[in-house]
Formats: sequence, C-alpha cells, structure tokens
Amino acid sequence: MKINFYFTALLLVLFQKGMSQSKATDIQTFTLSNGMKILVLEDNSIPNANMYLFWKVGSRNEYPGITGLSHFFEHMMFNGSKKYGPKMFDRTMEAAGGSNNAYTTENLTVYTDWFPISALETIFDLEADRIGHLDLDPKMVESERGVVLSERSTGLENSNFRNISEQVKGAAFLAHPYRWSVIGYESDIKNWSIEDLQTYFDTYYAPNNAVVVISGDVTLKEVKRLSKQYFEPIPSGPKARPIHTIEPEQLGQKRVVVEKQVSSPNIMLAYHVPETKHEDYYALDVLSAILSDGNSSRLYSQLVDQKTLATSVFSYMPESIDPNLFYFYGVASPGTAPEILEAEMVQIISDIAQNGVSERELQKVKNQKLVALYSSLETIDGKSNTLGTYEMYFGDYKKMFSAPQSYEQLTVADIQRVAQKYFTKNNSTVGYLMSPENNTK
Amino acid sequence: MKSHTKKCYLYLAILIIGSQLLHAQSNFKLPAYESFRLDNGLEIFMVVQKEVPLVHFRAVVPAGTRRDTKDKAGLAGLTADALSTGTQSFDKTTIESQLDFLGASYNTSAGSEAAVISSSFVNKDASVVLPILTEMIVKPIFDLQEFEKLQERAIAGVDQMRESPRGVIGNYFNQMVYGDHPYANIPSGTKKSLQQIGIQDLKNFYAQNYQPQGSVLAIVGDFDPLVMKIQLSDLLSSWKNNTILAPTTPEIKALNKASVVVVNKEDARETTMLVGGIGVPRNVSDYIGIQVINTILGGRFTSWLNDELRVNSGLTYGARSSFSALKDGGSFSMSTFTANETTEQTIDLLLKTYQKIHDFGIDTKTLESAKNYVKGQFPPDYETNAAIARFFTDATVYEIPMDYIDKFTETVNSLDSKKAKQIIEDYFPKDNLQMVFIGKASEITPIVTKFGPVKVLEITEDTYY
Repeated sequence: MKINFYFTALLLVLFQKGMSQSKATDIQTFTLSNGMKILVLEDNSIPNANMYLFWKVGSRNEYPGITGLSHFFEHMMFNGSKKYGPKMFDRTMEAAGGSNNAYTTENLTVYTDWFPISALETIFDLEADRIGHLDLDPKMVESERGVVLSERSTGLENSNFRNISEQVKGAAFLAHPYRWSVIGYESDIKNWSIEDLQTYFDTYYAPNNAVVVISGDVTLKEVKRLSKQYFEPIPSGPKARPIHTIEPEQLGQKRVVVEKQVSSPNIMLAYHVPETKHEDYYALDVLSAILSDGNSSRLYSQLVDQKTLATSVFSYMPESIDPNLFYFYGVASPGTAPEILEAEMVQIISDIAQNGVSERELQKVKNQKLVALYSSLETIDGKSNTLGTYEMYFGDYKKMFSAPQSYEQLTVADIQRVAQKYFTKNNSTVGYLMSPENNTK
Repeated sequence: MKSHTKKCYLYLAILIIGSQLLHAQSNFKLPAYESFRLDNGLEIFMVVQKEVPLVHFRAVVPAGTRRDTKDKAGLAGLTADALSTGTQSFDKTTIESQLDFLGASYNTSAGSEAAVISSSFVNKDASVVLPILTEMIVKPIFDLQEFEKLQERAIAGVDQMRESPRGVIGNYFNQMVYGDHPYANIPSGTKKSLQQIGIQDLKNFYAQNYQPQGSVLAIVGDFDPLVMKIQLSDLLSSWKNNTILAPTTPEIKALNKASVVVVNKEDARETTMLVGGIGVPRNVSDYIGIQVINTILGGRFTSWLNDELRVNSGLTYGARSSFSALKDGGSFSMSTFTANETTEQTIDLLLKTYQKIHDFGIDTKTLESAKNYVKGQFPPDYETNAAIARFFTDATVYEIPMDYIDKFTETVNSLDSKKAKQIIEDYFPKDNLQMVFIGKASEITPIVTKFGPVKVLEITEDTYY
C-alpha cells in the first residue's frame, strides 16, 4: 500500500491543474458525538457504494500469549452479534446483494463492505450491531480456531516469503511487537481464551478508535442520517493504552537461516526505517521504486536481466505507525549461492549511498506515482482505501494537501542521504531460506 | 503481503460478465463504443472514458497455449514473453526505459486461448507508447540472447512453481479433464519441453499464429477517437496475414470413469485438493444461470461448500467451486485444503455437500439471495478501463453477444426453481469425478482408493501425468 501515499499526495497537483477527472475533491467529513469519524465521497459513476471501517488495532497491540489475536478477532467480528446471530451477518449482507471482507496488519484492522446502493441501510444496521453488541459464542470461537490454524498453515505451505519473513522479523526486532507475524504463534492461536477476546473488544472496538470511509452513489445527507441513527448510540470507550515500546538501536548485523526444501535459495534483507509520518518516508519510498519497480529498475535490470543471478527481486516498505522494516527479497537463479546474490544486492544498494541516483530515475518514479494515483481514482474502492490509509497513517486525510510540496521538493541528494543513513550493515538483518543439503556452512 | 484476510477469494464477481441493477437499470450499462475493422481483418473497439487521463490498450491474438504441442509445451508463453524484448525499431533497453519513464505499465503473456499485449499509460503519452506496443505485436525480432535468458528463467520457474501446491494443482487436473484436447497443455511447460525449444521455434510459432485476422484490439480511456483511429490505422495496417490455417482440435471427450491422482509432497503441512469434471464453453446460453447456481454451491462466503467446510466445521480456511469456461469447453472444479489428519473428513464432507445440490436442489430463498448477490456485485467489475477493454476482447474471443450486459439482469431475474433444477442436471457433473490431492501420499492414498484407480506422482517430478 506504499504507493497510496503518492496517490493522494498528487491530488493537489491535479486540483491545481484543474483536471476535472478527479472527483476526489468532494471529501466531506463529520464526527459523531461518540468520537467516530466519518469521511464521505459522493460518486455516482456506478449504482454501488462501499464502506471501509479502519480500526486502530493490529498485531502491534498484542503481547506474548495473545499474538495473532487482532487477526483472530477480525474473524470473530463475523460470527454473531445481538440482532444478527452466528452466520447472519454474511447471510443478510449477501442476500441484499452485498459482499465483504476484512484484513489485519501490524497496525490496523480494516473491514470492507461492497454493496448496491439499495443495501446502504442494511449495511449500517449490520455494522452497528456487531460494533455495539458483539456476542462471542464459545462454539464459534472453537470452530474459528481451526479456520485460522488452516489459514496459517496454508500460507506457510504455499509461500516461501511467509516462511522467511516471520523469522527475519523475529530476529530484526528485539523488543517491539512487530517481531511476531500478524497471524501469530500456533500455540497462542490454540490457547487464548474467550476472556482475552472480550477484553480486546472492550479495549479497541470503541467507536472513537475507528474511522469510517464511505464512497459511492450516496449523499452526505443520507450518510449523516444513517450514521446518527445507527452508529451514534454506540458508547465511546476509554482511550487505549499507547504502545510505548521503542525498539532499541541495533548494534550489529543479524543473520537467520530457514531450512526448507526449495529449488534455489531465497534471500531477505531487512533494514530498520522510521514510521510513515517521518520526514524521510517519501525519500525511502522513492528509493524503493528506483531499486525495484519495473524492468529498468536497478535491482531487476542488474540481477535478473544482466547478471542472471536472480529470477526475481523486489523491495517493500510497509506503511507503519511505529518504526518498521524496509525489505529486499531475491530468489536466486539455479546454481547461484545465496552469499553471491546477497553480496550483489548489497552492492547495488550501497552504490546509491556512494554515488546517488540520476535525475532521470527520480523523474521516472514521479511519473510512475502519477499514473498510480490516476489508477486508484478509477474505482470507488481505490478512493475509500486511499482516504482511509491517509487518515490512519498520516493522522489526517487533509495532510495529502501538504504532501505534494514534500514530494516535489525531493532531490537526488535526498535519495542518496536516506540510502546512507539507513542502509548500513549494522542496521541490517539477513535471512536465507534454503534446502537443508545446501546449508552446510 | 503482511495482512491476513477473512476470506481467501474474490468470489464469483470477477467471473460474471454483465449486470444491471433492478433499481438502477438506467444507471449501469456498457459504455458507448465504436468499432471498426482494418483491411487486414483486425477488429478494433474504442471506448471513451474520461474519469482519469489514462488509456488502456489490450490486444488479443489467437496464439494462446492451446496452440502449443505437448513436446514443446511453453512455446506460446515464451513467444508472448519475447514480444517485449526487442522489435525492429526498439531494442529491449529502449522499450523498458521509455515505458518505465512514462509510468506506462505493460504486459505480454499467453493464456489458454490467446496471447495478450496490454498496457496502461497517460493519454498525453499515446504518441510515444502506441508505436512501441504495436511494434511488439507486428515486428518483434526474437533476439537469441534475450530468448536464452527467458528460457533459463522459465526453466527455473517450473521448479519454483512446484514449491506451492496451489501453483500446480490445476495442471494435474487439466490433464485428467481435457485429455487429448490442447486445453490440457501445461502453460508454463515442463523443464524437458522448455529445453527442447529453440529460437527458431519462436519465430515459427509467431509466423503461424500472430496475424490480424482473428485478432482484436480494445482501447479504452480518455482520448480523441478520431485521432486514435488514425493512429491505430497507421500503426497496424501493415500487419499481414499468413495463409496457414488454424489447426483443427479434437473434441473434449466425455469422462467415462472417475480417477484419482495423488501427488506426493514429502514436507506437506496440509492436503490441497481439487475435485471436478467437464464444464461448459464460455458462450453457453445458460452461462449466467450456471454462475448463479455456482454462487450457491461455492462462489461466495455463505456458499454451501464454504459454510460446511469452514464455518460449521473449521476444517479449512476456505472451500469454493468454479467454472473455468473457454471457447471450446471448460472445466468445473471444487477446491479446498486441510490439515493432513483431517483429509478424509474433508473430502467426505465436500462430496456430501456437493451431492446435496443434486439430491435436494435449491430452495427459493437461497436462489433469490444468490440472484441479488450476482446483480449487486456486478457493477464494480466494470469500473476500470482495463475491465471494459477486457469485456470487448472477451466478447470477440469467446463469441459472447454484445447485448450480454444489457440483458444480464433480465436473465438473472428469469431464473426460477425449475430452470435452476435443469441447470444443475445439465451442467454440474454428477459422476465420474476427477480428483487431485497434493500432500503426504503415504497418508492420503489409502483414504482415496475408494473413489477410483489411484495414480501416485511426485511433486518434484517433471511431469503432470
């Protein structure tokens, strides 16, 4: 979701140029008396709408013993409340023509509803019932444990990335809760109690801990009326305890090996970087694109194309409330030792620290971000997701109006500076995923 | 990559073509389009959409993996990949640096039916981007060095794909369902078949299969259609037809016995399974009705399969069913995964749940719910330029009537219990089911011998049958 930042960052540029295509100018907001903030974007291009509910709770709010509980809780939000008992949330929504999904990250839990406009009031009723009157049924909790264990297992069965990333995170973070994976440890999934769930609900699912974004064929007036009727009666809760753990500075490189039967080694490099609100975020995001977006990017063109040391390579920096990691991932080509690929990846990254990037590379990324912005504005989902992401990670969706300046001001020197500052050996964690027979060193 | 979702599937919505909502019939329609045909036979659709200043280009050529031969499986894919690695006027570096600099995304690939060359770019860049894209189609050069890199990566890709059961299970299944029909071809090839392909094979494949007759281009977005028409005509009129006739393909044969493949994966954490049979061609008259029924069986969260296997029993993260519909025919499959020790319980429950659709049919309330669902979920599928472009190319490739979208709601509404029963009878295979299981063969094989003759393969073996 990193590119969303620029989607919205570029809105102002569009507005200034007076491009009529962008309908995202019509953002309207209001806050209910219980503290729930609601953003509305009227867009009648299709007779549908969506509702995105962003809750400020994710795996960073957990501790050992309840790791994975945010995600499990996300599942439990579909398993019955006062008016709509088990199964009725989905049955009612789908019968009204709507569908839904939800996802949990290290930082947030997000619920998404997509529906024909005729179902708008039904959606409010369903969401209000589970937010205000969730009913944790012990039978559903037990059955859902199996579902989540299967989700965890199928991820590990089918994805090398999953296998290595949870180990690299665990090594890179000593103290901060980002050290465990969002899905949590198997033993925690099997053992948390219904009391843990109830406490979690009481702590984090108060309306003052949520932002709701609604885009589509709605009117502000109607959304206000329904919000007051359905959401406003839900009482607000005490402010959740802040996460005050600060990851101590890393004092030297860390290395992990994961043994798994693979046809060639996979490598992950992770560097500690600041939170999304930090002033270096823009430069780091641009750096990521210069390194790995498109075939002309540095990592791809050198490692996959010219030297054929890797079959694929990418970099990735998640949006984050607290300081997090900037990842590089490479899959070695057959016969390439992981040490060789690692050295080459590090060399390409260091080259930017030493010699910087070109003006053309910087301009290329600016152009790519503009297209990404346009693409996100093609759909009402893109609009809701962008607005909510901004509001949650930057603290206020309006900050997109100050972002273009930061973006335009970026120079090649900024890119070099952040490369020097963050991509150091002592700040890195290196993970190898490789077959046991090759792990002989 | 870092999130976990409640549901693993996008469900049926993406499969369904066309809908209007009852309450908003005037709101949602296929946008106005203009179509014309060049003298060389290339069909072109243009749709002006002004919401964002982007253009989507999608060219489809009848050069899909169905044109592969078994001994050189993967040739269609390599040929499509090679289109973007150099043309007469633009070498690979120029293509990549020019398109990347403009923020233009592009992709060349081969599906079962056709090869696709697609791109999204900013409208003001059309005069730079279109000459490059059209040269990829009309004047690729097939450079030897670039081919060898593609081939090497493709061979490595074959092994990497086998590290994920989900990445390969469909290949085993297609062998069982399609038999001698080229829909059974392995899109990515095997290591052996890829090693047998040389640069001359790509040139020959291109000469035989890439031609304007039978190809279609859809261009959707914010542009002046008069200018666009001239640009495209200038760039594509020189494309020549060959005189080679399209190969004749055998019929997809009816399946006369159940069969089972167990693929051993020594380090498996779970069993991944696919069960099904022969499906329907994409232009079958009952396609929409079939999709509504499949929604009930396994096409949405509250579907019977997901409800039984996930919600009621916690055996899996998800269970679903789908029809993969191509031009000559298609397949029907149900899929899920479960821990090694619950394999038997899961397969039994899956089959029992499927049996219900034949034994008891569908109640009115469930049918109405599914009808509302497919109607309500349709419009967002046509919000983007890319999605609209795809409708037009699909309509041509699969011979879907152009009024399909306008008639969608009417068709859904007309589906009653009697018709639903008929659809189940006609299109949901009742017996001779084909089954693939990937996991620990020593544990799975004894369980599944009751379903039919079992063939055991190794997931690391370079074969799918």
